[in-house]
Amino acid sequence: MTNRVYLDHSATTPVDPRVAAAMTRALAETYGNPSSVHGFGQQARGAVDRARREVANLIHAKPNEIVFTSGGTEANNLAIRGLCEASTAHGRHIITSAIEHPSVRGVCDAQEKHGWEITRLPVYENGIVRIDDLNAAVRPDTVLVTLMWANNEIGTIQPIREVGALIREKRAAGQRNLWFHTDAVQAAGRLAINVDDVGCDLLSISAHKLYAPKGVGALYVRRGVRLAVQNVGGHQERERRAGTENVPAIVAFGEAARLAREEITTRVAHDAALRDRFEQRVKELIRDVVMNGDRERRLSHLSNISFRFIEGEGLLINLDLEGVAVSTGSACSSGTLEPSPVIRALGVNDELARGSIRFSFGKDNSDADVNYVVAVLSRAVERLRALSPLTLVGHN
Amino acid sequence: MPEYSNQFKDHLAHPRNAGELAEANAVADEQNPVCGDRLRLSLMVASDRIETARYLAYGCPPTLVCGSVLTELITGKTVDEARQMTKSDLLAGVGGLPSRKQHAAALAIETLNAALDRLKVDS
Repeated sequence: MTNRVYLDHSATTPVDPRVAAAMTRALAETYGNPSSVHGFGQQARGAVDRARREVANLIHAKPNEIVFTSGGTEANNLAIRGLCEASTAHGRHIITSAIEHPSVRGVCDAQEKHGWEITRLPVYENGIVRIDDLNAAVRPDTVLVTLMWANNEIGTIQPIREVGALIREKRAAGQRNLWFHTDAVQAAGRLAINVDDVGCDLLSISAHKLYAPKGVGALYVRRGVRLAVQNVGGHQERERRAGTENVPAIVAFGEAARLAREEITTRVAHDAALRDRFEQRVKELIRDVVMNGDRERRLSHLSNISFRFIEGEGLLINLDLEGVAVSTGSACSSGTLEPSPVIRALGVNDELARGSIRFSFGKDNSDADVNYVVAVLSRAVERLRALSPLTLVGHN
Repeated sequence: MPEYSNQFKDHLAHPRNAGELAEANAVADEQNPVCGDRLRLSLMVASDRIETARYLAYGCPPTLVCGSVLTELITGKTVDEARQMTKSDLLAGVGGLPSRKQHAAALAIETLNAALDRLKVDS
């Protein structure tokens, strides 16, 4: 039987058995509608409230600042659209970065079509925005700065604390309607998050990156931040997101948040050890590789590597044939190449952008997984390079 | 990988006829200008028949596989028979491709025709 190794934890994580057990109990026993006043409903309300406390604890927020959503994408949509629609009287300018997740990039693009001006900060070769650029980009009509906490493709960590400090400074100087949203979907559970220390007003998280199921996430909304409601037709989530709560998924999210908070130190050390050994072995065994993004300021579980002379999708599928799951940000579809915008934003050429692969480790990976993947990877790279006309001297 | 056939996966894992031919008398190196996929085909043609074919490819998996399958399909064919090869023939040979990936088969047929156009015949 082929070995199967999952190295795509930035895409999604397997559900932790303890989380699955909590969810299964909720499915079987907690079937009331949390809005119902009878005992069954109140049992469900209690379960949702307990989960809300756990999610709040993970980011050091207050429970009533947590709005449950269907996931990170909805949280990002609610944050950006909701804030913009509530702020049009104060300005129509958003600052973001060139490497945001599509759920932020897409909303900003949509706002642009509705007359908003968008400044997309560059990230330079290390994949990190510069505070000076942000400072220079803030205008009197800027109402929102939306910057991801950590990038989903290369794992680089943005200077979120400095961004928060700058926003506070601007507010103290009189720009009272300037708000700060951060997409922390990749960061939550992998970095310690304290919303008060950072000073963000809105923060998005997703359960399925934390060993919980898909279909549930949350938006942190600091008290006093006004959002235009995007889902109407009910009083749930303190009038901020209508719709009957997905109780079993929320219970699972709460359990996953509790485990992430309790186990973060162990998980980070485990992932970092595997990732670092993996990168070391890749450098020893495979020539012509480029490690993308800052080497220090990055998530501990993620490695993004460009393999020269070959294309990422070919490598991905070769690895998949041997049971190894990874991902690439580049896509070739209908004869149109879409090299990863994130890797392109680092200033690298198309060949390197096309040859980039993301390896993202998780708590259930082992040393044996690293050994297997390195062996499979070096064979696949060798095979693809033997096929590549780009390796021919005089034909490049 | 549900969208690809078993023969596709087999050619991807075990490419046939990869490389170059030092004694080739028909060579073409074509590129899809939009996506950057590239295919290099070297043929040894003798007595109007393709005796040996080799390929090199850079690009998405369908481009790699179309190169491999093409070399198998054309080996032993006369030049006229090879010229009659169509994108559909190649698609059938790889076990079909999703519509958004069929440009890979078009690139392979273009490369074949370009190589045959450049065939050097000893006088």
